[in-house]
Amino acid sequence: MSGDSVRLTLPLSRFAATNREATTLFGELRKPLLRYLACLGLSPDEAQDVVQDAFLSLHRHLTAGGSQKNIRSWLFRVAHNQARNHQTSYHRRFGDPLGPSTELPPDEATPERALLEKEKFQRLSVAIRTLTESERECLLLRATGLRYREIGEVLGIATSTVADTVDRAIKKLAEKSNV
Amino acid sequence: MCNFSGKLIAWLDHELPEVEAVNVEWHVQQCAECRQSVSAYQEISVAFLGCYMGCYMSCYTGTMPARPARNRWGWVTAACGIAAAILLAIALSRRPVERLAVQLPPPPPAPMMAYERQVSEKPARRVPRRSIPRPQWTPVEPMVEIAFPADAFFPPGAVPAGFSFIASIRFQE
Repeated sequence: MSGDSVRLTLPLSRFAATNREATTLFGELRKPLLRYLACLGLSPDEAQDVVQDAFLSLHRHLTAGGSQKNIRSWLFRVAHNQARNHQTSYHRRFGDPLGPSTELPPDEATPERALLEKEKFQRLSVAIRTLTESERECLLLRATGLRYREIGEVLGIATSTVADTVDRAIKKLAEKSNV
Repeated sequence: MCNFSGKLIAWLDHELPEVEAVNVEWHVQQCAECRQSVSAYQEISVAFLGCYMGCYMSCYTGTMPARPARNRWGWVTAACGIAAAILLAIALSRRPVERLAVQLPPPPPAPMMAYERQVSEKPARRVPRRSIPRPQWTPVEPMVEIAFPADAFFPPGAVPAGFSFIASIRFQE
């Protein structure tokens, strides 16, 4: 080697800042991401793997000086695309009617009320099967708490399309489940 | 149908611009049909959220709806069926084998002793011993053969060399 040396400059302050940001985002978005992935049909282990990969990608993205705008939708998009790779189990959850073992939110006061809620739940599950993939994804991301703009970024469609799709999906569910 | 019906869900999701949201809100207060629709959409949204949460809970508490069980024996049954069909088709398509008409000799009469044993093995239809025809044979008496060389009776050269006369002698009382 020659005597010339290459000086390596590590942006340590930025590295620490991105680490902090990534950690904060991890605490904030880990559960919504897991929930979304579970509803897409991934098993708990697969969902955990996808979330970890997504946050690893986020860390690389931030370390490489990537844009910090819309990080939330960026993370969901990465996780969504990785979930797409698990196509074998993609329709398992919302494609099939939820079985009797599926837990309901335990807030029913009386057995009659619980039964009614369960019937409604099952009707809704059947109605969900009639939704298109795009409609289902839009509703899932909406239930996660994403705005229409963010849903559009995750799915790569326009915000107006998201609004139309959500509108159509909700009306379809209302019609099919006789609410 | 009301003109505002297409904006109700976006209004519920707070996705409308402020001015438009105010207009929709004012309309919903006036229109009973839209109020009813809003109520239904809210109920559906809450139910979907419950479904979504239930799905998540069932996934992470181990009560996840099982993947439709793949019928592992289905393909085996199908393969067996196909194999059976192929074998049947082969068997039906094959021409009948022309068998050689072999004239077998009539089977030899069974020995009497065997017949006797067979009969004796069936006590219910046992044939009386007297009625069984026994083989008729006469005892052969011992016989002695003595060879006399021909040279002893004839002059040399009269008979070929090595010739001899054999005499059979029976002894009787």
